[in-house]
Amino acid sequence: MEVTWLHLIPLLPLVGAAICGLVGKWIPKSWVYAVALASVLLSFLIGLRAFIGLGEQAPLFHELWFNWFSAGSLHVDMAFMFDRLSGALTLVVTGVGFLIHVYSVGYMEEDPGYWRYFSYLNLFIAAMLTLVLGDNLVAMFVGWEGVGLCSYLLIGFWFTDEEKAYAGRKAFVVNRIGDFGFLIGIFILFNQVGAVGFAQINSAALPLDVASMAALCLFVGATGKSAQLPLYIWLPDAMAGPTPVSALIHAATMVTAGVYMVARLSHLYVSAPGVMAVVAVVGVLTALFAACLALVQRDIKRVLAFSTCSQLGYMVAALGAGSAFAGFFHLGTHAFFKACLFLGSGAVIHGLHGEQDIQKMGGLRKYMPSTRTTFMIATIAITGVLPLSGFFSKDEILGQALHTRAFGFLTLGYSGPHLAFLGPLIYAVGSFTALLTSFYMWRCYFLTFSGEYRGPENVHPHESPSVMTVPLWILAALSVVGLVLGLPQAWVHGTWLQNWTWEHFTEGVFSRPRGGPPEEFSPYLGYGIALIVGWGGWASSRALYYKRGLAGDELLTARIHAVRRALANKLYVDELYDFIVVRPLWALARGLFRLVDATIIDGIFVNGIPALIAWVGAMARRFQNGDVQRYLAVTALGVAALLYVFLVRG
Amino acid sequence: MEEFFHAHQAQHYLVLGAMLFALGAAGVVLRRNAIIVLMSIELMLNAVNLTFLAFSRFPLVPDSPMGSFLSGHAAVFFVIATAAAEASVGLAIIIAVFRSRTSINVDEFDTLKL
Repeated sequence: MEVTWLHLIPLLPLVGAAICGLVGKWIPKSWVYAVALASVLLSFLIGLRAFIGLGEQAPLFHELWFNWFSAGSLHVDMAFMFDRLSGALTLVVTGVGFLIHVYSVGYMEEDPGYWRYFSYLNLFIAAMLTLVLGDNLVAMFVGWEGVGLCSYLLIGFWFTDEEKAYAGRKAFVVNRIGDFGFLIGIFILFNQVGAVGFAQINSAALPLDVASMAALCLFVGATGKSAQLPLYIWLPDAMAGPTPVSALIHAATMVTAGVYMVARLSHLYVSAPGVMAVVAVVGVLTALFAACLALVQRDIKRVLAFSTCSQLGYMVAALGAGSAFAGFFHLGTHAFFKACLFLGSGAVIHGLHGEQDIQKMGGLRKYMPSTRTTFMIATIAITGVLPLSGFFSKDEILGQALHTRAFGFLTLGYSGPHLAFLGPLIYAVGSFTALLTSFYMWRCYFLTFSGEYRGPENVHPHESPSVMTVPLWILAALSVVGLVLGLPQAWVHGTWLQNWTWEHFTEGVFSRPRGGPPEEFSPYLGYGIALIVGWGGWASSRALYYKRGLAGDELLTARIHAVRRALANKLYVDELYDFIVVRPLWALARGLFRLVDATIIDGIFVNGIPALIAWVGAMARRFQNGDVQRYLAVTALGVAALLYVFLVRG
Repeated sequence: MEEFFHAHQAQHYLVLGAMLFALGAAGVVLRRNAIIVLMSIELMLNAVNLTFLAFSRFPLVPDSPMGSFLSGHAAVFFVIATAAAEASVGLAIIIAVFRSRTSINVDEFDTLKL
């Protein structure tokens, strides 16, 4: 259904960003807050109204805002599409975004750059909504780059700290690498399909090699944005930004852009079974890898950052397994509980005056009851234990992966149940990762909130103001209520709940894998395993850390110091990249600098041309030496030459 | 012999004039002493005078309405007068320069340099 109000959703935060950024410095603080919060809230309300309006008569809203540019057969429109997929994500972005805006009012209270901060935050919401609502790849790319820019600006928000500015640059550069793949993917699709709209792409019948190549290139973009192997390295460093930013951008919304993009193009992906296998393997390996790294981190935000990487790995694995629904569902629940965890960690950091090291926390249960309770609820949710939201979303992913028929070979396409071992393998690795997840999240919880306070005497922990704790409670509540969204259709069929499940929301949005839907399976065995795994992680973590505190780390790795050291140093991946990528690039850049810049440009052009002119001038100056006799001699010779030419030759 | 002199008289004067002019020019350009330079200029002027007289005696266009037998001589008198004036001014300059610089070597006077 064509509508005319859809562009308001991204436009309002953009206007808010402009107001805060341009005049925010001079208007009262409360006006900045009002503008920033109201613009996001209005977007949320419009989105909510639109989402309720979706139904049989209007499966999607579409608006052609304006024709952006046309060149030859390429027509790119600024057009928006609001269906159940983009609508659900719009609600998550604006809803969680609004809560984080509210929280930020408390968190950034004392920062003089608050107007800049809210401007960036609003700009981010606008860019993210463009990404989500854009009905073609180019419009999406605008948002894609926009969120990358805002991410850079907000990571390096305290840019006077060189380390934080570096983290911002690192995130930007690594994302550029992914964006390059994304761009190539767009080019391939335009070249082959002749259009960039999602509708055209998803309805085009592409040959296998084209579909595989395009899907693979786009997936490179997704690995950059969604922090998957091998481009995840920017996310842990991105924690240099203010904590609400970590919650909004680096946990709940921006990092899910890659997942959303793959889900949006699910038809393209299911037509390339080889890429599906690649996607699934990358996802599950990222999940495992990041979970291992999270085990020994001592910075509370880094634990959560690696946990985000790991959870994104689950989502990507679900996409690869052909269950975009499960991945997208986990995206939604993850947005709730991970935002809650990050905001909780922000409240802890705020209450400890900037301390991020869990070594110096402990015993905060007494001082911050609200933060502690909400953090615990979110922790239970992420560990995937009944009765909280992470349970169904994670188990949906693992169950679908176990029984999927989506995989094929990269070159052969789908012609039967290839790679049948891959599904169970993903299930096994994913379940093990779930155990690790439960273990490190509870470790983080116990070290922060249980035991005795280990920080310095002069720091007095205190609970945050209610402007910060209320969003925490709302997010914690959503982490619980999110459970309903995930109830299997079979359980709620015929009851009033059946219209409120995520499965119902996203019905008919995603394409089914080539190999057909997964075989019918009973979820109960999977549920049982998940419960054992979840509580097992809790029990082992409690046994190690509840009483001992950090000494548990020593106990855990008493015999294998090398492993622990390697994990604590993030398996030396940064060093590896430094060795493989950064140093050769430096060397190349230095060589190019010496050859091209210093020798050719500076040497020949910049300094060479003036030197030539100076030399010509020096030569010409010889004639101008003030010696009258020499002038005369030259004149006489000239006259003689002229006479010779005209009298003798002429 | 008679014919030679009759036929080639103009060339003889002109060649001699050219040689004197060239010697004078060489003196102007090469000698360092300003007085010698001045003398060389006189030599060049006299070479010119000789040429004027040669053309007066052997006109290129006989019976030309442009000039008579005496026009070359008149020009020579003007040149002699001018040369005398020039020599006096030149000597005055040389004396003035010598007073300020205690030298009359022309290669030391290069303040025209850019």
